[in-house]
Amino acid sequence: MSVTHDAGLRHDTRRFEESPRRPAATPRAGEVEVRGLAWRPFGRREPILRGLDLEVPAGQRVLLVGPSGSGKSTLLRALAGVLETVDAGELSGTVRVDGAVPGTRAGAVGLVLQEPGAGVVSATIGRDVAFGLENVGMPRADMPARVAAALAAVHLDMPQDTPTHALSGGEQQRLALAGALALEPTLLLLDEPTAMLDPVNAASVRASVADVVTARQLTTVVVEHRLGPWLDFADRLVVLDAHGTVTADGPPATVLAEQGESLVAQGIWVPGYPPPQPRGIPGGLFTAGALGTGVVALDAAAITVERTVRRLDGSTRSTVALRDQWLQARAGQVHALVGPSGSGKSTLLLALAGLVDHEGIVRAHPELAPHESRDPHDWGTTDVGRVLAWVPQLASSTIVAATVLDEAMTTSRALGLVESESLSRARALLGLVGLGHLEQADPRHLSGGEQRRLAVVSAVVHQPAVLLADEATVGQDRLTWAAVTGVIEGLRDAGSAVVVTTHDDEVVARADRTTTLTRPVQASTAPAPRRPLAARAGPLALVTAAVLGIPAGIVSPHWRTSLLVLAAQVALAALALWAPAWGTDRRDRGPAPRGRATSVALRMVPGLVGAVSVGWSTWLLGSHNLSVAATAGLRVVVIVFPSAVLIRYVDADALGDHLGQRLRLPARPVVALAAALQRVHTFGDIWTEISRARRVRGIGATARSPRSVLAELWALTIGLLVRSLQAAAALAVGMDARGFANAQRRTWAAPAAWRRPDTVVALASLLPLALAWWAPL
Amino acid sequence: MRTTHRPNDPASTNASTGTRQDAGTRQDAGTSHEPDTATHAPAAPARGRGGSILASRPLMGWRTVDLLTIAFLGVAFGIAYWGYDAFYNGPISLLKIGFLPAWGLFAGPWFMAGVVGGLVVRRPGAAFLCEVVAAIVSMVPGNAYGATTLVSGILQGIGAEVAFALLGYGMYGIVAAVLAGALSAPLEAAYEWTTWTKDWPWDSKLLYLGAMVLSGAVIAGGVGWLLTRALARTGALSSFPPGFELRDSRSA
Repeated sequence: MSVTHDAGLRHDTRRFEESPRRPAATPRAGEVEVRGLAWRPFGRREPILRGLDLEVPAGQRVLLVGPSGSGKSTLLRALAGVLETVDAGELSGTVRVDGAVPGTRAGAVGLVLQEPGAGVVSATIGRDVAFGLENVGMPRADMPARVAAALAAVHLDMPQDTPTHALSGGEQQRLALAGALALEPTLLLLDEPTAMLDPVNAASVRASVADVVTARQLTTVVVEHRLGPWLDFADRLVVLDAHGTVTADGPPATVLAEQGESLVAQGIWVPGYPPPQPRGIPGGLFTAGALGTGVVALDAAAITVERTVRRLDGSTRSTVALRDQWLQARAGQVHALVGPSGSGKSTLLLALAGLVDHEGIVRAHPELAPHESRDPHDWGTTDVGRVLAWVPQLASSTIVAATVLDEAMTTSRALGLVESESLSRARALLGLVGLGHLEQADPRHLSGGEQRRLAVVSAVVHQPAVLLADEATVGQDRLTWAAVTGVIEGLRDAGSAVVVTTHDDEVVARADRTTTLTRPVQASTAPAPRRPLAARAGPLALVTAAVLGIPAGIVSPHWRTSLLVLAAQVALAALALWAPAWGTDRRDRGPAPRGRATSVALRMVPGLVGAVSVGWSTWLLGSHNLSVAATAGLRVVVIVFPSAVLIRYVDADALGDHLGQRLRLPARPVVALAAALQRVHTFGDIWTEISRARRVRGIGATARSPRSVLAELWALTIGLLVRSLQAAAALAVGMDARGFANAQRRTWAAPAAWRRPDTVVALASLLPLALAWWAPL
Repeated sequence: MRTTHRPNDPASTNASTGTRQDAGTRQDAGTSHEPDTATHAPAAPARGRGGSILASRPLMGWRTVDLLTIAFLGVAFGIAYWGYDAFYNGPISLLKIGFLPAWGLFAGPWFMAGVVGGLVVRRPGAAFLCEVVAAIVSMVPGNAYGATTLVSGILQGIGAEVAFALLGYGMYGIVAAVLAGALSAPLEAAYEWTTWTKDWPWDSKLLYLGAMVLSGAVIAGGVGWLLTRALARTGALSSFPPGFELRDSRSA
């Protein structure tokens, strides 16, 4: 186990020099050799890695640690061969896995990313695991065995058609692991796999990793900043410093004994050392609060919240996020909310802040309420901003300004507070959390930990009476943890009420009160209704049938013919929406579906409005001829009606398969489309999160100010687009790690057959067109 | 492992000014040493007419991140179109009582997906794909127009693509954006002449076309170009030519 350290810094770009071929010994499976790896992305002056050397023999388990910015993720991506998937830069040095360049064999290196769900490609877990197998062109018949083996290895025992969005964070990480395992890698790379998980889920992921690595004898490199749970797993600890060079390397116990203190000083969570102390806020930074200690600032009674998710097919699914919760937030106290994920902690914070519709009562102390209404839900954005502060889990969604200092000053300026006072407080707080030197930097270019610290500072500069912080310390190193808890406790000592949701035992230990939430009981879901005949047809047939309404409308010469065509369409629609209990498919069992005709009627309303307006415009601009106008209007109805009936039953999850296999469109764009369609439901969440954050900071849209509405629309659009671009970049890394980059000739795990219902639907939709063409006037 | 594209580093010292970079060959093609993770020094940026930075060579070598970005942008625009749909068929349909060809002035936002897709990724087919994906996403949950949304999306996408093709896939400034927005309109207008506005007199039809072209040029082209620049400033386009251009202008 030899490692050469690179003592000096290398600034010059090294061109690749011909290296002597290795001796003929076959490398054992999973052997890693890195020589002189240097990487400088374009746009940064300093390289991230400067000539790193590392050798990992087969089967070894390496734990890689270092402060943020030390190039740990970069090293993992270079080992997986996906370093240039998204970023461009100067790369030099050699990386060899089993003697070959990474990426020569797709999937030889498995990569699990930090954010759960970032690499999910398909609608169901079985299909997601099969993604890598599709990319390497495995025949469909061979896939089920590998998929089942991979899922069994990570103990995901649920049926293979379980939807991926229904998985918890830990299950999603295990799914990513299964996806990597399906390609039978020799090297497994894990980039902070448990950083964003609660302790229970994190433990399940660690257990899965340990099982898998032991069973398959994989070489493993794990990056983590909480070392404790991984020390038993690892054979070797490698420490990188902030400049990307190796400063320590050896058995974990030895390295920690030598370097434990310096690691703690850099912010890494080393077991056996005392927990970090929150950084003290100097007295006098905050003025005394309006309420005395222990006075109830915000009172929540019998809060019930229902969440509805809109799926791509237009249906909605509603779950109970919170049921009958009570909470009192008292001034001068930190109140911790704990509980398993899914128990509604974040939702309770949203209800307290008045950011979500709820049943039950939320009341603020009368001194805090602006006028008669004591429920923050009814307040204007300026009042909300003055009294409350909310820090969401994902700090980057709240960024509104162009510089760090402006960001911290946003709410104070929106509230019209004295500029000099707020400015000095903001500067002091930024200095306390270690962001003082970044005052003029662009907040979007900060690291995750820096953005988190900035979000907490921005929330307290105006000294709100109530601070609601959602998982403020998750995934943070010791330094950020100390800064964030220091600010929170400083605000508490100044007399504000603080409510935090947390999984962190240290935070709970320091809290004044704790409330435990449990997962709310869901209303028993009724069995799914039967599907109508139209739903048995594939997406291509349905779209074709809907498109055939267009020529039927155009060709029809007179409104009487159009009426006939429309009558035929209505008759066919009745047939298509009929839901008999035939067939063995389980989707054909269950109660009759309700509201089919109503939903068609509702969807037709804009079309009818359009028909009237087209008829009107034709009458007005044309010859004031009622007959022509009626023809024009009915044409619109004939064109739009089939879509109103059929498009709803298009299976978006199967759309990609049908486009690729039936129409033989190029495979990679089709798969990219299918993966993006899976994310539709998350976009709505992003939209609401950004608008909530703006409302809480006092810059939300108000009906009185059209300028604020436009500013909000612009911010929401940019925010939505930025998040989708970031999601695309993260997914690209995950997909390339599973061999997508060169998968021009790929196979498909699921067939996309053209079956009898498809032919029936397509032929039936020719009937109105035939009528339009041949029917006598 | 991506092996066939060269990076574009505007900060490179051996940039040639204003000339189009020839399609680069892999440095190790035909050389004797074994292929590496990457073996390139920063390459001169490929620049088109007017100084726009082009996508990495080969132009039809779509990277995974290109495909996903077009797909995600299309989905984002499709979702935004749900909202615009409600607006288009709601409050402003009252305008139809007034001067009707002016209705075309509200068509601009529908073309924005194609313009932004083309400006961000800068490859043949980008504008078309982005517009079609946006159309699919706005259609599938069931919108007012149904399948005609898909047909419209295809026609608008073809128009935007033709605009970028006319410029040889070499210009991506405000002129290209305005042209792409403007050219998204004619095929769409021709389609609507056969469906919605079939019986209008010809002068109204032409006014309608003109209104759509104007709306496309100003809203889809102008606002789309501004939107792309705003996105580049957020840093989200750092692996695409607009991001490279921003770095270029900042380092200058």
